[in-house]
Amino acid sequence: MIEAQGLTKRYGPKTAVDGITFTVQPGRVTGFLGPNGAGKSTTMRMIMGLDRPSGGSVVVNGKPYAQHHSPLTEVGALLEAKAVHTGRSARNHLRAIAATHGIGDKRVNEVIEMTGLDAVAKRRVGGFSLGMGQRLGIAAALVGDPRTLILDEPVNGLDPEGVLWVRNLVRYLASEGRTVFLSSHLMSEMAVTADHLLVIGRGKIIADGPTATVIAQATEETVRVVSPQATDLAALLQGPGVSVTSDEPGVLVVSGATSIQVGELAASNRVVLHELTPVSGSLEEAYMSLTQDSVEYHSSEVPAELTQEGSR
Amino acid sequence: MSTAVATPTTTPAVAAPKGKLSFPHLLRSEWIKFWSVRSTIWTLGIFLFATISLVVLISLAFVNAPSEAEGGPPASQAADALGPFAVAVTLAQLALAVLGALTITSEYTTGMIRSSLTAVPKRLPVLWSKAIVLMVSVLFAAVVALAVSAVLQALFFDSKDFSIDWSDAQTLRALGGTALYLATIALFAFALGALLRHSAAAVATVLGLLLVAPILFSAIPWKPLTYMFPFLPGVAGQQVTQTDAQLADAAASSPIGADLSAWQGYGVLLLWIVLTLTAASVLLKKRDA
Repeated sequence: MIEAQGLTKRYGPKTAVDGITFTVQPGRVTGFLGPNGAGKSTTMRMIMGLDRPSGGSVVVNGKPYAQHHSPLTEVGALLEAKAVHTGRSARNHLRAIAATHGIGDKRVNEVIEMTGLDAVAKRRVGGFSLGMGQRLGIAAALVGDPRTLILDEPVNGLDPEGVLWVRNLVRYLASEGRTVFLSSHLMSEMAVTADHLLVIGRGKIIADGPTATVIAQATEETVRVVSPQATDLAALLQGPGVSVTSDEPGVLVVSGATSIQVGELAASNRVVLHELTPVSGSLEEAYMSLTQDSVEYHSSEVPAELTQEGSR
Repeated sequence: MSTAVATPTTTPAVAAPKGKLSFPHLLRSEWIKFWSVRSTIWTLGIFLFATISLVVLISLAFVNAPSEAEGGPPASQAADALGPFAVAVTLAQLALAVLGALTITSEYTTGMIRSSLTAVPKRLPVLWSKAIVLMVSVLFAAVVALAVSAVLQALFFDSKDFSIDWSDAQTLRALGGTALYLATIALFAFALGALLRHSAAAVATVLGLLLVAPILFSAIPWKPLTYMFPFLPGVAGQQVTQTDAQLADAAASSPIGADLSAWQGYGVLLLWIVLTLTAASVLLKKRDA
């Protein structure tokens, strides 16, 4: 269990994390979602005591991380894959980390096998690919068999097989009753991995809830209507909470009304319909609409369909 | 909203050994780290080779030097068997200085320090355990290098009466002091590395203080520099590598400035280390990693 209270980090005049409060519960996978520069890594580094908070506090399993007598068995973390001496072999890297807690080579061999590093364990880490480095980072996080797992962008650089492996691994670890907290900037990945979502933008928590709920709230259900009497129908549909847009003649995109409502309205007004389709927004759109006000680094050109729907 | 997840944390199914963070465990970890990178093997190898070969070669040169009657230096200044050790150590110490600095700076340049500090979030024990492992390893290497050198010297030059006199307490103190000095120089480089967190900067600084500063300080005819000269870390530290008689000779030939005794000089070197390590540990505790 991770509990943050008013957690803040400032670098000079810039506020990276702006007084966030959240709780990460055990027994489920909590996704930490946000665009680059939103404050995900800084938050995780503060949890692990690498960065000192400018304000607020964060505790893991009831205590600040540094005050645990056996930190690695409380929390395992992958903060960056390349936090490794490049001249040391993967196995010796893990042995050195395990040795700090008196954990023997048996467990080291276990995590090497678990992360599929057997073939390269004796090689020096400097020659590792991003994917292998990522697996080594996960192995290091698991070596203490921790109750809480913190993974920063764990699927970064992994091939599809590796992505699936991480997904199954974290779900399995959560099912054992552990706390699993992993960050990503990929909504699609979070949607299939996380049970619970914490969305962060510009250092502030934007959404906090079960994954399905967060996605549903952010995704706009629209109804696509094709009708020869589109103009008449549009006039009928207009009302409080309902907006109608038209990208091409005879085609309406209705938001704020269900397909049932649109169909019944059309029938009672004897309007001919050629098509009536409920359309749910994509995950990407949901994500964009959640974070569009809080993206740190905007691309200069923003696609048209994202700019016109400002309502939420 | 989250009733389903309110189940208490049960013990994990995987039966892994439950470890505990302790200082002996940390020493073991640093020991693994120290010996599992090539730079350790390289620098210690170079140190051993340089010390042993230099002692033998310089002894050879001393033995073959012309005597006073043949126009050589006066007998009172003729080098004794310790002479070659002093010269060899002045050069071979550089390998140990590089090793000492790299022991900590390589963690910063590779990012390993973040893994180390994650495992040991209280931070300072990482510094102490590294220092102990370094000191012990280098002291052992230095004793081996000096012992092998002395044995070879005796083997080749004993017939010419040019070998270590093991019954002379002063000679033994100087030789033991040499081993101690070498380990302490490695520790000084380590302290600078911990402070500067950058390999090139730390190595350049320590070499500057050990090699360049003594030359500059004695070459520039400015009185404050002359007074400061005996307190340079390398100059002060090397007092302990000489016999009291040698120190007295040196004191007699330098009219101004402090004349530090063997252990006073070593104390000055220790003071340099204490100040540097204190600054480094304050910064380690305060800075974001």
